[in-house]
Amino acid sequence: MAGPGVSERVLVIPAYEEEARVGAVLEAVARARLGCEIVVVDDGSRDATAAVAARAGAQVLRHPFNLGYGAALQTGYKYALERGARVVAQMDADGQHDPAELAELLAAVESGEADLVVGSRFLGRGAYRMGALRTLGRRLFQGIARLAGLSVSDPTSGFQAMNRRVLEVYARDFFPTDYPDVDVLLAASRNGLRVAERPVRMHTGPRASTLHGGLRSVYYVYKMLLSTWTATRRPAEAPAPEVRRP
Amino acid sequence: MNPTLTPEALRAIFLAASDPKTARALALASSLALTTAVLWLVRRRSLREEYTPIWMGVAGALLLVSLRLDWIHALTRVTGAWTASSMIFFLGEVFLVAICLNYAVRLSRAGLQIKNLAQDLALLRARLERVEASQPRSLRDV
Repeated sequence: MAGPGVSERVLVIPAYEEEARVGAVLEAVARARLGCEIVVVDDGSRDATAAVAARAGAQVLRHPFNLGYGAALQTGYKYALERGARVVAQMDADGQHDPAELAELLAAVESGEADLVVGSRFLGRGAYRMGALRTLGRRLFQGIARLAGLSVSDPTSGFQAMNRRVLEVYARDFFPTDYPDVDVLLAASRNGLRVAERPVRMHTGPRASTLHGGLRSVYYVYKMLLSTWTATRRPAEAPAPEVRRP
Repeated sequence: MNPTLTPEALRAIFLAASDPKTARALALASSLALTTAVLWLVRRRSLREEYTPIWMGVAGALLLVSLRLDWIHALTRVTGAWTASSMIFFLGEVFLVAICLNYAVRLSRAGLQIKNLAQDLALLRARLERVEASQPRSLRDV
């Protein structure tokens, strides 16, 4: 568990009923030696996710009930803001992301190259396979983002690193509780934040099938079209003044 | 069907039909029943006062209809409907759609508040655990 001081780097891992995988993920995170405070946000799991994560030494934030993937991420962002973090990384708890690759994303943010760095499966590293329908969906949202002035090859990647300015935007009420994908990237971009990408390897995780399978994929496309439209229409908000710590 | 009867003539027949007294009585009874139900629910604390104006408004509208059914007829003529009953059904549907939209907005606001509260609870619990962990055992046991 974290001490009472400041955590410069925080790694947020949202988890919902991942007792079987979260332990191995946290072991891989420990091996990567990222120098981050590890925060697992247990999104109201009915299994032992929180206990497994706590045993592995992570700071566990427990939602009293299931709020959604986006809300779990946002709880992690709010925690990082509270802890005075300068940079935050995020990855999934299902083992599809390799924490060793986070160092590159964090370095890109810390060097000031970008405010938000997205790990992309489609920039040449690894051979991630995606079904025809999901590829079509990805290309659709990629095209919409491009029309709105944002060029991203992997708009649904949950493997990211960001600085405090991004956290201050993402901690606001607009942040979706279910699927924070291209819509929040557009919101960040419209708030003057610089978005960049880095090639990463990813394994095919179960999140893809649980979040975007069956009828949910129809809802996902509808919801994302609506939220990208509102993201491009909503006036940019001035970022809150940065809290400077001695 | 009589081949000489045009749709316009048929509509005129519908519109000229007299209103049965039972229709007025039904509207009046519905208005009274709704008012009674609202007051009873408020008294039982099952319905909060701030949610009652819309239902009292509906009860008032029903009362108005029972007293001035000719207003419904005028509206029926203006909108091109054939019968007063279809006009009343249409107005009822518009009301239901409006109230559903209103409750969807309220639900969105309540959902956001619940999410923020649940997040605050998770953060406060973590902060409490940090504070407790940083204190000597003797202080924690006090």
